[in-house]
Amino acid sequence: MRAKGKGNSPAAMWRDGGRNVRLSMCLMGLGQLCYGQIGKGLLYLAVLALAAAYFVGRGFEDLIGLFTLGTQEANTWLGIEGDNSVIMLLMGLLAVAAAAFLGLCWSANVRDAYETQKRCERGGRPARFQEDFKALLDRKFYKTVLFLPILGVCVFHILPIVFMIAIAFTNYGGSIVPPKLVDWVGFDNFIQIATLSRFAPTFGRILLWNLVWAVVSTGLNYFAGLGLALLLNKDCVKGKAFWRAFPMLAYAVPGFITLLGFKFMFSYGGPINGIITGMGGRAVGFLDIDAKWIARAIGFAVNAWISVPSIMLLATGILANRDFSQMEAARIDGANAFQQFRHITLPFVLFSTTPVLISQFIGNFNNFGIFFFLRGGLYIDGYFLASDTDLLINWLYNLSINNNYYSIGATISLVIFLITSLLSLLIYTRSTSYREEDTFR
Amino acid sequence: MKNRKVAKAIDAVLTHLVLIAVCFVFLFPCLWLILASFSKSGSIYSFEGFFPSAYSLDTFRTLFTDTEMYNYPRWFGNTLFIAGMSCLIGSLLVILTAYTMSRFQFRGKKFLMKTTLVLGMFPSFMGMIAVYIIMTQFGLINRMCGLILIYSAGAPMGYLTQKGFFDTISASIDEAARMDGATNFQIFFKINLPLSMPIIVYTAISSFTFPWSDFILPKLLLKEKDLYTVAVGLMSLGDTEFARFAAGSVFIGVPIVILYFALSRFFVSGMAAGAVKG
Amino acid sequence: MKRLQAIALTTVSVLGLLTGCGQGGETAGAGTPQGQEAGASQGADLSAIYTGELEKNVTIRVLENDTAIAQGYFQELLDAFNAAYAADGIVAVDANMDQYSNLADDGPYGYGPDVLYQANDVLMKYVEGRHIYPIPAESLSCWETIPQTAWEAYRAQVDGTEYYMGVPVNVQSSMLYYRKDLLPEDWQEQWDDDGNQIPDMTENWNDMYRYSKELVGQGDGRYGYMRSLYDVYFSSGFLFSYGGYVFGDNNTNPEDIGFSAGDARLGASVLLQQASLMNEDCIDDSVTVGAFSKLADGTYFATMTTPDVYSQFLKELTLAYEGQGMSHEEAQALAEENLVVTDVPKLPKSGDLTEEDPELIPLKAMGGVNGYGISAYTKSPNACLAFVEFATSYEMVMKRHEMLGIVPARRDAADAAGGISEIIYSNLEQGNIVIMPSIREVEQIWTPAQTFFQDLAKDAFRTGGRSYDSLEKIQAGLEAVDAQIYDAIHTLSGQ
Repeated sequence: MRAKGKGNSPAAMWRDGGRNVRLSMCLMGLGQLCYGQIGKGLLYLAVLALAAAYFVGRGFEDLIGLFTLGTQEANTWLGIEGDNSVIMLLMGLLAVAAAAFLGLCWSANVRDAYETQKRCERGGRPARFQEDFKALLDRKFYKTVLFLPILGVCVFHILPIVFMIAIAFTNYGGSIVPPKLVDWVGFDNFIQIATLSRFAPTFGRILLWNLVWAVVSTGLNYFAGLGLALLLNKDCVKGKAFWRAFPMLAYAVPGFITLLGFKFMFSYGGPINGIITGMGGRAVGFLDIDAKWIARAIGFAVNAWISVPSIMLLATGILANRDFSQMEAARIDGANAFQQFRHITLPFVLFSTTPVLISQFIGNFNNFGIFFFLRGGLYIDGYFLASDTDLLINWLYNLSINNNYYSIGATISLVIFLITSLLSLLIYTRSTSYREEDTFR
Repeated sequence: MKNRKVAKAIDAVLTHLVLIAVCFVFLFPCLWLILASFSKSGSIYSFEGFFPSAYSLDTFRTLFTDTEMYNYPRWFGNTLFIAGMSCLIGSLLVILTAYTMSRFQFRGKKFLMKTTLVLGMFPSFMGMIAVYIIMTQFGLINRMCGLILIYSAGAPMGYLTQKGFFDTISASIDEAARMDGATNFQIFFKINLPLSMPIIVYTAISSFTFPWSDFILPKLLLKEKDLYTVAVGLMSLGDTEFARFAAGSVFIGVPIVILYFALSRFFVSGMAAGAVKG
Repeated sequence: MKRLQAIALTTVSVLGLLTGCGQGGETAGAGTPQGQEAGASQGADLSAIYTGELEKNVTIRVLENDTAIAQGYFQELLDAFNAAYAADGIVAVDANMDQYSNLADDGPYGYGPDVLYQANDVLMKYVEGRHIYPIPAESLSCWETIPQTAWEAYRAQVDGTEYYMGVPVNVQSSMLYYRKDLLPEDWQEQWDDDGNQIPDMTENWNDMYRYSKELVGQGDGRYGYMRSLYDVYFSSGFLFSYGGYVFGDNNTNPEDIGFSAGDARLGASVLLQQASLMNEDCIDDSVTVGAFSKLADGTYFATMTTPDVYSQFLKELTLAYEGQGMSHEEAQALAEENLVVTDVPKLPKSGDLTEEDPELIPLKAMGGVNGYGISAYTKSPNACLAFVEFATSYEMVMKRHEMLGIVPARRDAADAAGGISEIIYSNLEQGNIVIMPSIREVEQIWTPAQTFFQDLAKDAFRTGGRSYDSLEKIQAGLEAVDAQIYDAIHTLSGQ
């Protein structure tokens, strides 16, 4: 099961490496060719050729562009094409990534040649192409499998994030957007935030509420979902598929429609207020300007309505996987239903759903939609460009999108990102499912 | 003995009472939406209390026949294609990723796990500009395959849940198979995959529903009206088209409900238990 | 669901920054550095863009608004143009894009339209990034017939030279909608003091207040004038009427924010008095969304909104009459008879709606001018100009008016159209329509102002601890709005 992963330092490889290893160091794939591994050698060479073509074609230019961010402003009226700083920044980052990838390939190629050499020294022979291929389906199955996902995540997740981080060090935003040229400004944005006195109170208030929101709504959704799944799992419940179908209805309606629907229901002219006034009461401003805690409570409820079904679904799947022999043993030993739940089901479910809890927590922490749809468009006293139900992500949106301060938004999100990711890493690495992965095997 | 029977009966009654309450909570807003879609007048305000004052089937008829401005059947087809393909590719990638992360120990695994965790903390809309520029550079604007690419590529980020599931499948079967000389590839496809139906169903449904109801990415990448997805199309409806909006929203839920009923048998408990013992 | 569309738009407006939308026209504010490369001497020579020679065998993509497409006007326009220019091989087609799509995002990558029909504030956003071409306005045949006030909305100063960036087609402003059959039976005796055969409550807000009070006092759930007061587009007009403004120097100076300027507090107090005769629906968008059916079922007597939604009011009222057992034709005829759209009522100079025989001042409503612009990314500017000229001709504008009910910006068309068009047109000429600012900073006014108006409307329903029970408090509230907008604009851009 355990894949070999002993690192060799480049120096050691150069010292111990034979002719072929050194050849590989000089030209990717050459060592493999000399070992007679034609297929693999040619593959490495092909990668190198592609990379060379890319760098000659545009890679070098992109790399230079990353530093200059453009020199010629565009002017459509005079027919001047000009440079687009934002594209240059992104393509520059892509070129860096390509260079890094090439470096990785290169080092993999050297290590591969070195391993082949070691194998020959032990009296083996260089692996044939088919053997390498087989290893990819067996011993190195994980490499085969993870290649595509990692590539995709790198391009569509990591690259945009690196891009945003880079933006935090530029003056992009406000009036400086293409065709205007963007420039690197170093730590100016960070200094600006730190010296603004109105930021800290808003930041503190929103962060506090955001943490409360994330913890409470995660707990609420999780236990409601789990409870529902357990309830449906009881022996006395017949027609499980039927009962489960109702929460599935909620799941079937897209989130934005749900949110708009609820917003309307809780509005002054909505059906709920219609009933209240119909019974002679006064209309309640569920989501209006004074409705701080009512609006927050509605946020919790609506979020639960949206999230509970999927957790229920998941918990159902996981409960199906319980080890029933344990439960039977417990029953024979005279444990009652609650004891069985407390000592067998709960630890099991908690273990296998810790990741869910974490991803739920993250999802809720960054839950943009709820308050954007339910109670957007308000700035409340005591908050800088935010309302008292806004989460950090909504505030960020107000700053960077509504008000156009893109580099400032990127800077703040970088700060928030650092805080929250450290926090969640801390929790995560202390969680049982991370530390004791094999307990339940 | 009699006491236990009574307790059991009370338990069953209570259970069902709670279930009925839960079902009511989930059903009611949906019911409201469904009834609204049958509202005769297009407006949300010609309601008496919760329900429309007059009913008619016209909305559904116009939804599918009056396609001059709002081509719902077309949107529906587009969405089905995008969500279907993303679901296929995305589920495969997630399951594979989760399985690998659960079963293999390799250098950099903990790093990968931490990285994916941390990446989720970044506000995604901040990266939209970058995604848009990448897509323009690849010439993937106004192309459905561009969307499928992004959805599928993003799917493995959510592997944690599935990994949690695989962690609970006992590794003892794997060991037994390995003794018999099966490769990891075979162990995965022949042994673990059939055991994982509940999580596969969960994955499939969730990776179908996200593209199915997302409107930010399609709005960003599909400019032509002919390429609209249902979510984008519904958002572009005129002010008084409420009934059409409701009808469109109701209809958008149909495939998911069908998907659920078609796959619900896989949730039946006890399947895996039998497999481990047998 | 255009409202949803608006939400969707803000969500996706991430892109706005991408290639440089959100740029104001006119003179850039103090904090906005001018282009580093292009010096002031480099004014663009329009004749280099428009050579006067029509490109042959080209297709131009035109972005129109949804109503024009839905009502079939756009197709007629395209057919007429294509027939006229068939000899040159110029074909105009529907750009097939969202009416709110952002040229700054699409244009540079080749996905944008060639010609676009937009409101002035939208079109003018594209000036600073030079996403649209200037228009040789003086040489167009419509130059003379469109009043300078309308052209003004499209005037921009770039690098020291003045340009017109679009061609005005239609003027948008607020109108009063009311139901004639809900007037008191004896209105001619009791509610027409000046004897001009127009009910007084539709002429001035004081009588409207009095009549609303009477209706509410009957206690059968009916209301007089209703309006969602949080809506900045409609409520800000009340501030403007008493000396308030958005930005100083004719809406060009973002350093000077004037929601609290002059006697604007009187306007806010008028809104507060109006709110006291409404119900809580005026706090959020419930009235806006529900007005169509509430006017139809008689719950509301009057509301204020833009002229382009007339057909929706008419449809609901027709349905309501049909519900009373009339045939469709009867119902429609009666609805057309009873649904009246007219100029907005006048305000009391004192700001006191209970005053008898007040001195009246006009309501300055916020408005906009919609028109055509030409994308700077088009390959065939001359053909585009030909299209714009064609679409703004008297015949096409008249057809547009007939099919869509728009208010033409052309004097000849407005005269021929009469009715609402004449009213709005003369309001525009007299300066009673405040055209939306065309500078980038206007984006930052909405949320602070909307919050204030919502708070103000809510105040009419607070049982204890009212926030705005005196003019001083209102003034303080308005000043807070100004400060908030100033902060939003300047706090973070001080680099």
